[in-house]
Amino acid sequence: MARILLRFPESIVDQPIISQVISEYNISLNILAARVNSQGGEILVEIPPEDVKRAVKLFRDRGITVAFPKLIEVDREKCLHCGACYSLCPAGAITINKEDFSVIFDYEKCIGSSCAACVDACPVRAITLSRELGLLERENEDKKINQEKVQS
Amino acid sequence: MNKRTIEEINEKIRKGDVQVLTAEEMKKLVESSGVEVAFKEVDVVTTGTFGAMCSSGAVINLGHSDPPIKIQHAWINDVPVCHPGAAVDLYIGATMMSETRPFEYGGGHVIEDLISGKEVELRATSYGTDCYPRTRLRTILTKHDLNQFYLVNFRNCYQRYVCATNSRDETIYTYMGKLLPNFGNATFSGAGELNPLMNDPDYETIGVGTRIFLGGAQGYVIGEGTQHDPKNLSGTIMVRGDCKKMDPRFIRGAAFTRYGTTLYVGIGIPIPILNIGLAKKTAIRDEDIKVPIVDYGVPVRDRPKLGWVSYKELKSGTITIKGKKVKVSPLSSLKVAKEIAETLKRWIEEGLFYLTAPVERLPTDTEYKPMKQTEETVLVRSVVHHAVTCREDESIKDVAKRIINQSVNHVVVVDEQEKLLGIVTSWDITKAVAEGKNKLNEIITRKVITTTLDEPVEVASRKMAQHQISALPVIDNDRRVLGIVTSEDIAKLLGRQRNG
Repeated sequence: MARILLRFPESIVDQPIISQVISEYNISLNILAARVNSQGGEILVEIPPEDVKRAVKLFRDRGITVAFPKLIEVDREKCLHCGACYSLCPAGAITINKEDFSVIFDYEKCIGSSCAACVDACPVRAITLSRELGLLERENEDKKINQEKVQS
Repeated sequence: MNKRTIEEINEKIRKGDVQVLTAEEMKKLVESSGVEVAFKEVDVVTTGTFGAMCSSGAVINLGHSDPPIKIQHAWINDVPVCHPGAAVDLYIGATMMSETRPFEYGGGHVIEDLISGKEVELRATSYGTDCYPRTRLRTILTKHDLNQFYLVNFRNCYQRYVCATNSRDETIYTYMGKLLPNFGNATFSGAGELNPLMNDPDYETIGVGTRIFLGGAQGYVIGEGTQHDPKNLSGTIMVRGDCKKMDPRFIRGAAFTRYGTTLYVGIGIPIPILNIGLAKKTAIRDEDIKVPIVDYGVPVRDRPKLGWVSYKELKSGTITIKGKKVKVSPLSSLKVAKEIAETLKRWIEEGLFYLTAPVERLPTDTEYKPMKQTEETVLVRSVVHHAVTCREDESIKDVAKRIINQSVNHVVVVDEQEKLLGIVTSWDITKAVAEGKNKLNEIITRKVITTTLDEPVEVASRKMAQHQISALPVIDNDRRVLGIVTSEDIAKLLGRQRNG
């Protein structure tokens, strides 16, 4: 499953866009995290990989900003491989290799700032939220990433 | 052959034909070929651990300033450092926290920064004497500017440690890491079968003067550690090593959120296989090393044990607590522990590290006593008083009257059996009136923070401060309300204690 972050501007927050996309275009969509109020909103969803291109276009045509978020950053140089983070991850994004006990992050499974349980548990502060839900000022940066992603 | 000596082993190191295995390799060899073969073939077994060791720190000597100062208070990078000696000797305690960045940067980080070659800022003050007239000092230093820079850790390398979990309905932050509510996860520390002291549990070879791997350099055991408790398989050691030669990969400052700062220390100890008994002891497996699962949700000295678990289960990543599968985090880095055992093995094979015989054995019968307390711990039962209660179907007006008549701020909502349902405060009533609400049901707080008769007042008062509330219903095991304790009661108690 691919994860995309949908950002709704204030002007369209009252429209049932997600349900339209689901029902009219038959795209199955799993909502992982949502933060919506009258000023706008952000929703993190999972989509089957084959539907990504189609869904992104449908959302963009309706005025939604779409981002492919890398939700956490892990500083490999700092990481001690202590595994303090491992038991806190509800998404199964952190595993420990049974052979050499290195700690492995699966960025695609991470659900980011809606969880962030691992961030303050890291004793060497190697984990940071890279693109928090709610940080709309990063939108421009996202746009660049989106273009790269969709084109590739 | 039925024994071997340290001298013989060192001779083999000199000749380059010493046989060294890591503890993990030794266990496999004993399993496949038996103890006797292992004893014949192996001269040394190397161990390793890399974990948070709070009772660590470094002694530094600054040399004298001109005019000289007899330092009374000092800070490095805003971390208070103790002044235990004469004029310019300081001790950087791993858990001392920065006054500007508490809980994020501390003594452990200062030690790491210095070892990494970074510059640090030292500030000091003093009262001035005839021989040391200076009263203030500020300077920038690196490790090269220090005369001595030695790690002197008074409790390291626990033989084994407990597995921690949390029964409370809220996340807690402890020195055993972040523990999720309702046994949502667990943590453990130590490297199990790789742990140095677990491979020589009778302290036959580890003693005063034993040369060890410490923070990437060669260091020494200088005695048993504080709280050394070998009878309960919880031995510890005191160690010393030259920080100037250490490698920051094996010695790292760390911060445990809402607990404080510490130091991750890498220790590896070579166990000379002097007799067949040691071959057998170094073959100990993770499944044979059991530790209790301890509930850190209960803030008392003797925390409740919920069962026992082996390091094998702990390293599998999942354990069972109260019938539920939960993920368990190692807090020590097992990856780096293995690297330490392998590095030490290589050092010995390459003739870079020679073994030493202890000049004195470590005690094996030490008692680890709890603190003698001359002041009694005050329990909630000595401050509890009668709770004003109501039923959930009463009107807001009736409850408001009760608040006025009884002159209280909190009314506890109970059912027919006096069991706790919720709480209503005078503020809730005021708000309800302002918002035109009539039903008590709408304003009851259902998730109530509570206490018990036998909880220390200290703990109850921390609960109130943490949740920014001013009263706790006191309940029994069946959630029946026995009374209430308020911040006012505690303030009065403190007042009495100060006057008395």
